[in-house]
Amino acid sequence: MAALDVKPKSKKRKEASRDEEPAPEAPAFSAPVESLEMLSDEEGPDESASDDGQVDEFPEIDAASDSEEDGSFGDEEDEEDSDGTDEEDFEEEDSDDSMDRDIFPKPKTIISDITGHPKRVYPEIEPDYDSDSSTEDTQNRVGNVPMHWYDDLPHVGTSAFDKTAQMDKPLSAEELDIIRRLYANEVPDAGYDPYEPMTEWFTGKGKEEIMPLSAAPEPKRRWVPSKWEKQKVMKIVRAIRQGRILPSKPKTASKLEFYSIWSEPSTSHAPPLPAPKPRLPTNSESYNPPEEYLPSEAERAEWEAMDPEDRERDYLPQKFPSLRLVPAYDRFIKERFNRQLDLYLAPRIQRVKLNIDPSTLIPKLPSPQSLKPFPNYKSLKFTHSGRARCLSISPDGAWVISGDESGIVSLWEVNVGREVKRWKFEGKIGALEWCPRLDVSYFVVGIEEALHFIIPPNLPSPVLALTQSLLAPTTLPPAPETPSPVKWVTPPTSSWSPDTAILTVHLPQSSGLPKQITWHRRGDYMATVSSGGTQGGVWMHQITRRHSQAPFKKIRGAVQLVLFHPLKPHFFVATQQYVRVYNLAEQKLLKTLTPGIKWISSMDVHPSGDHLIVGGYDRKLCWFDLELSDKPYKILRYDFPAFKYPSLPLNAKLLLPSYHTRAIRSLAFHPTYPLFASSSDDGAIQVFHSRVYNDLMTDPLIVPLKILRGHTVKEGLGVLQVKWCARQPWLVSGGADGTVGVWCS
Amino acid sequence: MAPASQPAVFTTQSPYPLPPQTFMIPTTWSRYQLSQLVNKALSLAKPVPFDFLLRGDLLKTSLADWCTQNAVGEEETLEIEYIESVLPPQKMSDLPHDDWVSSVSCQLEQRFLTASYDGHLRAFDYSQNQVWSTAIHGAPITSFCIVPSTSADSHLIATACHDLTAQLTEINLESTQKTKALATLHLHTAPLSAVSSNSSGSQILTASWDGLVGLWDTLVPDNDEVPEPAAGDRKKRRKIEGNRPKRKAPLMVLKSHTARVSGAVFNDEKTAYSCGFDSTVRAWDLEHGVCSHTITSSERPFLALSLAPSSAPSTLLASSTDRTISQYDFRDPHPLASVTLTHPATPSCIVGSPSHPHQILSGAYDGVARIWDLRSVKGATPVASFKAWDGEKKVLGVDWRIGGIVGVAGEGGLGVWKVGETAS
Repeated sequence: MAALDVKPKSKKRKEASRDEEPAPEAPAFSAPVESLEMLSDEEGPDESASDDGQVDEFPEIDAASDSEEDGSFGDEEDEEDSDGTDEEDFEEEDSDDSMDRDIFPKPKTIISDITGHPKRVYPEIEPDYDSDSSTEDTQNRVGNVPMHWYDDLPHVGTSAFDKTAQMDKPLSAEELDIIRRLYANEVPDAGYDPYEPMTEWFTGKGKEEIMPLSAAPEPKRRWVPSKWEKQKVMKIVRAIRQGRILPSKPKTASKLEFYSIWSEPSTSHAPPLPAPKPRLPTNSESYNPPEEYLPSEAERAEWEAMDPEDRERDYLPQKFPSLRLVPAYDRFIKERFNRQLDLYLAPRIQRVKLNIDPSTLIPKLPSPQSLKPFPNYKSLKFTHSGRARCLSISPDGAWVISGDESGIVSLWEVNVGREVKRWKFEGKIGALEWCPRLDVSYFVVGIEEALHFIIPPNLPSPVLALTQSLLAPTTLPPAPETPSPVKWVTPPTSSWSPDTAILTVHLPQSSGLPKQITWHRRGDYMATVSSGGTQGGVWMHQITRRHSQAPFKKIRGAVQLVLFHPLKPHFFVATQQYVRVYNLAEQKLLKTLTPGIKWISSMDVHPSGDHLIVGGYDRKLCWFDLELSDKPYKILRYDFPAFKYPSLPLNAKLLLPSYHTRAIRSLAFHPTYPLFASSSDDGAIQVFHSRVYNDLMTDPLIVPLKILRGHTVKEGLGVLQVKWCARQPWLVSGGADGTVGVWCS
Repeated sequence: MAPASQPAVFTTQSPYPLPPQTFMIPTTWSRYQLSQLVNKALSLAKPVPFDFLLRGDLLKTSLADWCTQNAVGEEETLEIEYIESVLPPQKMSDLPHDDWVSSVSCQLEQRFLTASYDGHLRAFDYSQNQVWSTAIHGAPITSFCIVPSTSADSHLIATACHDLTAQLTEINLESTQKTKALATLHLHTAPLSAVSSNSSGSQILTASWDGLVGLWDTLVPDNDEVPEPAAGDRKKRRKIEGNRPKRKAPLMVLKSHTARVSGAVFNDEKTAYSCGFDSTVRAWDLEHGVCSHTITSSERPFLALSLAPSSAPSTLLASSTDRTISQYDFRDPHPLASVTLTHPATPSCIVGSPSHPHQILSGAYDGVARIWDLRSVKGATPVASFKAWDGEKKVLGVDWRIGGIVGVAGEGGLGVWKVGETAS
């Protein structure tokens, strides 16, 4: 209330004396008594009415003045502005106050006569006794009164030691405020407002720059997107996509997180190879080895006699009574050098040896066990004195005839192997073949320039009669118009005997040994291939007409083999390198198959007539699909596994199956079972499963089943001919060692 | 480390039973120790050697080896069946022949009768002398049998031959002159493979390569039942018309096989069995002449068959070209081979033991005759085996007479062996 009263009266003065205001305040903090006195001096009339208890009010005035101060900003300016006008009374009061209250005399600002500028003039210091007030009186004189009298009075202030004055000086409210602001990290000047509104000097309404400062054309970088920035951004984008940067990474990751050092995946790099470790010393290298390690004299002499390279160890164990007595190591340099050499020559990288499981290289084929039956053991053997070059099995599968090079033809049972009858001819037996007809029973033996027709013994009488009437008819068929060089001769009926031929066909002179006899499936036509003679040595014989003719006037190349197609009137002729297929009815060449074999040795046609296998002396077998192509569908050849799989270990190479290692001699398809066999000069017979599908889309399935060994190789010749039993999966093979083996399932 | 001992129970079908009791047998023991144990336990006056069957497998090694091979734990109680062992066969005599011997019979008292591929029938006494020989056929005889008859001094022989006929011949072992061909049996159009007669001697069976089985009676007809083929040389025939054997026709033709029939035997008067290359074994009802039962196995052409020894009625043993002998039981509606005896070579002939209920003898193309015990169902090891001749000579026929006389016929002639049968 009093403050309100006072204000209108002394507002101006208060405003003007803002600087001086702390002066009355400061005593109020530091020396309440003095301030009370001053109050009595200056504002006594106002304050006199208030009792002592009202001294509390004083800071309130201060606060009010502060707030007023806050409200009116430019105190300083105001002061400056009003400086000239209020100077006098201000100075008066100021002087009054300063004279009384201040320790130091206040300067007077006067206009200098000389310079014309204001200057401060300090009052003269009278050097009398009292002039120095510094030691004058105690700051806070409370008097000799009990201190509890001041209990209900506010604390008057805080003092700080003033270095210039060398005394504690009470801090003014402004100074305290500054300290508080410094503590609060604020701007220490209370008058500074950090948030004062911006003065728009160059911007804002009406102050826009209309013209650009530079007339230079805008640089390209202003409108072209920055390549490097883009790269930088894309790098980040990529990193985000790959998850290397987590956009919202959890911030909980602390630096002291534990992790398993073994859990991280190993790098793609191989770990560096550790250097080879030197061998650790053993007992014998001890300076004091057990007695049993010490060499005897003989061992020592032996060791010394040995070359250093041959020695098992390069030192001799020695014994010393104590470590003190061990001499310097004489081989130190040498050993270090060797160690360096070891390190130098040690492998830097680890080479991984190629480790192929040989079983993975074998193609996936059905198991041979699932393709039973096939011949897998030699049931019996029949022995000839010479090479068993040719053999044939009767169409009912019960009898075998085999011929050797000494001219003997033996007839024996397939099952027991007992020779039932034997015929002797002059010269080698070139070929044998049983007539495929079932109602008659005879076979043809080809020797030098002749074919003998022989009837086996123990025939039922109807069959015998029919065979005889076929081979030696009572009325001979009419002779052909063109005389043939081939003569058909039947001995007179009286001289017939089981030991001689009932019919002999004399081939022309110098035609040589018939290499092959092959029958047409009906058993009326028979083709022979002779080793010499004109027209390739091929003759076609017709039994019922007792007539022979040469089907080819001239033929290119030496004919090796001929075959009748089982179903069609086709005729296969194999020369050294080609197989030609002729149509006999139309008398023209149908196609030429090129097996790619240097010298064809054997050939057989599948019972279906659609497939042909051709074997050669160059260890190759070609399977032709006659419907498909003139080129082989499949070639089986001898591959030395070492060339095919050079990195395989040797034992695996030896395990790998391979085709014949020597020339192929003979091939045969089984008439009913899906089997074929090939024989070779390596003494082995290989049996294959060969399933042919009626479906044209499915390729034939060829599975090697069994390698039959049992024939010995004699003079470079192995198994010369293989034939199948007609009704059983049994194989008969004739070898150069003179044995004919029967292989049963 | 195998356990030190194994619990075992002994069983037997022999006349030496042990009380049912569990023994702890040291596993290092083999046949010899076990045999001693049984002998000790029975306190036999005269030691009897025994063989031991473990799960149908003949014990050849020690018990520990057998247990490890068959993965038998030490806690399991083994059931060991013991059988009287066969003593090693001993060769008694070797009777060489000019040609291969296809068939042998020891059924005559003090005589061996052999049929050979040269068409001869020969008789030998026990002192290795050929007492009698005559040519019956001009072609190889594949098989013969003695038709049981009542007459004492003469015997009726049926022979099967490659010349497409079988023949009934009356022989007298005392003199060659009294041999008389009684009848030729005409049916087959291919060589014959086997002939056999029933126990009463009233009927015979022939098997042939043409897939037929002929049933004949043994009565000799007065006239030819089959007309002679109209041959041109009638005059020549006429000359020998007088004592020419009569041409006989079959009682019945058993037609079911699709390939060569390799063997036919009588079971009893009414039924017979046959086997063939069509991988079938057939049972025949001889009253009606129909095939009553067919056992088909896959791809096993059968070479020979024989009735199983007395222990198993209507079971049959047949050897096949896949080197096995199989046992078939016809009482089973869908018989499978109950026992399969594996040979290293083609078994060509089988005969059951005349006295022992479980043993059979087989001959194979490797020249080895083997004695098998049918209780040893695993059938990999014979009870005893002997090689008839040196070298690779095939065995083609075997016969076994009561008393342990075994005749082995084949490429090397006839070998006579004494098989150590225990007196039982």
